[in-house]
Amino acid sequence: MAQSRPVTIALDGFGAEQGFDVLAEGARRAAADGIGVRVFGPERSLALDGVDGIEVIPTTEWIGNEDDPVHSVRERKEASVVRAAADVAEGDAAAMVSLGSTGATMAAATFGLRRLKGVQRPALAVRIPSPRKPVLFLDVGANVEVRAQHLVQFAFLGAAFAAAVLEIREPTVGLLTVGEEAGKGRGEIVEAHRILAEAPGINFAGNIEGGDLPEAKVDVVVTDGFTGNVALKVMEGAARELAGAISDLAHKNVLAAAGGLLLKPALGGLRKEFDPDTTGGAILLGLRATAIVGHGSSGPEGIANAVRLAARSVKVDAVGRTAALLREGHAGRAALAGEDVPG
Amino acid sequence: MERDEVIELVREHLAEELEVDPGRIEEGTRFREDLEADSLDLYELVMELEDRYGIRVTEEEATRISTVGDAVAFVIERAPA
Repeated sequence: MAQSRPVTIALDGFGAEQGFDVLAEGARRAAADGIGVRVFGPERSLALDGVDGIEVIPTTEWIGNEDDPVHSVRERKEASVVRAAADVAEGDAAAMVSLGSTGATMAAATFGLRRLKGVQRPALAVRIPSPRKPVLFLDVGANVEVRAQHLVQFAFLGAAFAAAVLEIREPTVGLLTVGEEAGKGRGEIVEAHRILAEAPGINFAGNIEGGDLPEAKVDVVVTDGFTGNVALKVMEGAARELAGAISDLAHKNVLAAAGGLLLKPALGGLRKEFDPDTTGGAILLGLRATAIVGHGSSGPEGIANAVRLAARSVKVDAVGRTAALLREGHAGRAALAGEDVPG
Repeated sequence: MERDEVIELVREHLAEELEVDPGRIEEGTRFREDLEADSLDLYELVMELEDRYGIRVTEEEATRISTVGDAVAFVIERAPA
């Protein structure tokens, strides 16, 4: 039984682009680490019968990328991602992971797990690999339009996760905009800067610019979901092109090939660090339980890492620590609106 | 079903989720203008009402609910006796 393990994770059994075999192998690897896994998917295709620590809950319905996320989540209660979220809400699992439609996962998690008290908008965060140190970047797509209060809350959500899960002591938080000075950027950014500069409980480092993100100038970078998604895709594309160009050069002639061979061990480590499978996926922050949005293209190790990331969030009580930091920083909805918090 | 019971449920839900004083929530209270609730807040309220009273609210119907009284009237009209 999955629930006999110290931490049990609900895993959406659909959405792995490489197929059920790969998803099943990812679940096996996570279970081999002592994590309980409840998989919502087709029993026969997953072929996980009798694997210690894994339980398959037969599910044949799923929500695809072509479906409207909110409508589908509301209408299709038997869909795998909806059932995975319900499993967490009902207490049979402690966190959820899905590699399927990002929108459906966000909708199922937001409605099923519910927001933390005082959180207005959940935010999607990713760990950006950097040669210097990892950076937590949010929001990368959950909220296309934001208000100043949302950005302030994202800063606290990111800081809490960086401290709890990434083990960064007093993480520095920067606001992504078009200049370092406090007055740079759109109105909501200027206002968020003003609030964060005076907020207790957070190590606000001020504004940062785009170039500071890969440079890891701060530990947590906050922006709106539109800017964050564009910036993330630009970085991924640039890294891919650069890696291709280096590979082409290394095969250009014998001398370059020899140099390439000498660099291979070091570049291999860097490649692993930058491999999306290494990070485990994006984390939906601001909910009452952890939800991980894995990469649909993940291999078995990427899927296992997504489950491991969810389990780690549970073990370190990332959600409880986030709630505590929001309280400490007076960053709940009512506090940011300047009202007394009831009860 | 008692109207007061539904009002109380809506009041409790909104006070908890929006962190507002329950005393501010009356039948004429407007979600967006008076409570600064957004579409996500309204969806959560609708889903709470669906679960509690066994009703179904379409997305089009949900967009027409703009006050606490609208939500209460909808539940009274649709909920099984």
